[in-house]
Amino acid sequence: MKKLLTAIFAMASTTCALAQETATSPLEISGSVDTYFKYDFAKKANNITTSFASDHNSVSLGMIDILLKKKTGKASFVGELSFGPRGQSQSIPDAAAGGSSFHIQNLYVNYDFTDKFSMTAGYMGTFIGYEVISPVGNFNYSTSYLFTNGPFQNAGIKATYKFSDKVSLMAGVFNDWNAYSATRGVSAVGGQLMVAPVEGWTAYINVLSGAGAGGYGTIEDLTTSYQITEKFKLGLNAANYDIDNDGGGYAGAALYPQYAVAGGVTLGLRGEYFKVKDVGALQGNKYTSVTLTANIKSGGLTFIPEVRLDHSGNMPFFKESGAAAPNAGQFSLAAVYAF
Amino acid sequence: MKYLLFIVFAAFSFQLSAQQKQFSKDDNGKYIYYKVVDSLALSKDTLLQRAKSFVNVAYKKSMVQESITDSSILAKGTMVIDKTILVAGHPSGEVSYNFVFEARNDKYRFWITDMLYIPYQRDRYGNFVATTQIGTPLERSPGKLNAGAWKDILNSTYAKIEKFGEEFKKYLATNRVDKAKKKVETISTKKW
Repeated sequence: MKKLLTAIFAMASTTCALAQETATSPLEISGSVDTYFKYDFAKKANNITTSFASDHNSVSLGMIDILLKKKTGKASFVGELSFGPRGQSQSIPDAAAGGSSFHIQNLYVNYDFTDKFSMTAGYMGTFIGYEVISPVGNFNYSTSYLFTNGPFQNAGIKATYKFSDKVSLMAGVFNDWNAYSATRGVSAVGGQLMVAPVEGWTAYINVLSGAGAGGYGTIEDLTTSYQITEKFKLGLNAANYDIDNDGGGYAGAALYPQYAVAGGVTLGLRGEYFKVKDVGALQGNKYTSVTLTANIKSGGLTFIPEVRLDHSGNMPFFKESGAAAPNAGQFSLAAVYAF
Repeated sequence: MKYLLFIVFAAFSFQLSAQQKQFSKDDNGKYIYYKVVDSLALSKDTLLQRAKSFVNVAYKKSMVQESITDSSILAKGTMVIDKTILVAGHPSGEVSYNFVFEARNDKYRFWITDMLYIPYQRDRYGNFVATTQIGTPLERSPGKLNAGAWKDILNSTYAKIEKFGEEFKKYLATNRVDKAKKKVETISTKKW
C-alpha cells in the first residue's frame, strides 16, 4: 500500500512541472429525470430481482439527478446528487435509513498534473462493469445481474496516465464497495487498462478488490464496445468475482448488440448468463436473461419500451399463484429526460 | 403608440436577421462557411505564415495541419458545441471540420466544410464524452423526431464557426512580434 502510494506521488511530482495551463470552464449543470411503468407477467412486484424498476402495474418514479461540474485551470470537481427511489434507497448507500434521504452519485476532485497524468479523489461511480446507476448511461432500462451484484461506487484515490489516445492506465486505492467511509481502512486496490485498438472500439480490463454483499474478494471485469458501422454497435461485459476463503462469488457475461433502424430509433438486445458460485454443498443459482429494448430519442427525451424474459432452473421466480417458477417476464415503458 | 410600433418592427427585423444566419451550401451540397478577405497590403507569404501560426500555435489543441503549399493550407479541426441551461450549460457534442486557406498578395480566402457532428453523453463520472466515433454530416436531415434539436445544433455550430472565422481574420490582420519583457518600474519613497 505504502509503496503504491509512494509510486503514484513520485510520478506526479516528476511530471507536474511541464504542464500547460488549461482553460477555465464555466459551471456545468446537467442531470436527468426518469419515470416508468412496468408490468410483470406473473403480476408480482420485484419478481426479477435486478436493480431499480421494482414496482408492478404502477406509474412509478426513477430519480431526479443533478450534477455540478467546474474546471479552473488544472483542478476540477464533480458533485452529483440524486433523489427518488432509484437515486435513494435503491442506490447504495442510502444516507438515511428508510430511503428518505438523497444519494451521492459522484463527489470528487480531479487535478490534471499534465495533459497525460491526472489524479482523482473522492466518491465516484465505479469503473467496473458496463451498466451504471443513471438511466442516461444505459441502453436498457432494467439492469443486468452483473450490474446488480457488482460494485456501484467506489470512494478512494486514483491516478490515471494516458499513454496515448489508444492506451491509458489507472491505479488506485479505495474503501470497500458502495461505502462513504471505510470499515477496515483504505484496503481495496484496483486498476483499469483502457485500449482502443481501432477507431470506434474501446475495451476496459478492470480489477478491483474489496467487499461486495457476500464478503471480501476480487473482481476481474472486461467491458468493451465497438461501433462497427454507423448503424450497428456491439457491447460485451464479462466478469468474475471470487470471495476469499472459498466464500463463493459469481461469474457472468452479457452481450449488447444494438442497431439504429431509423433516425432517432435504435433497437437493442441484451443476452446475459449469470452464475452465483457454489459455496460448499450449497449450489448457486444460474440465470439466463434476454431483454429486447428500443430507444426512441427526441432531443433530450428517450422513450424506452422493453420486454424481458429470465430463466433459472433453480426456480427463484414466482407465478401469480405464489408458486415457485423457473421463468419470469416483464414489460416496461420508461421515459428518461437528460438535460 | 409610434414608439411601440417601432419597437415591434425592430424586434421583428432582428428576428428575421437571426433566422438568416445559417450555412450556405457548396457545389456538392455540403454546408460551407466561406469568406474572402481583402487584407491590408500584406504579401502572400506573410498571410501564409500567419495562417500557419494560427493552425499550429493558436489552435494547436483542436486543429491539425494536413498539408501546406506555397499558397494554401489544409487542416482538420474539432470544436465543442455547448448546450446552455439558464446561465450554465455543458458540452452537448462536437463538430469536426475541414479548413482550407488560400492566399494571394493582399488577399486571402478560407472556408470550412465537411462538418460532422458527434453527440456527447455523460459518462459514469459526470464527464461529457463522445457517444460514437462516427459523425453525422450536418446536411443530413435527422427526421421529424429530432428536427428541433438538430436545428439547435446547426445554430450553435454556425455561431461557433462564425466566431472562429472572426478570430482567424483578426489573427491574420495582427502583426505578432514578440515584445521584450518590460522591466517593472520601481518607485523609491526614500528621496523626493
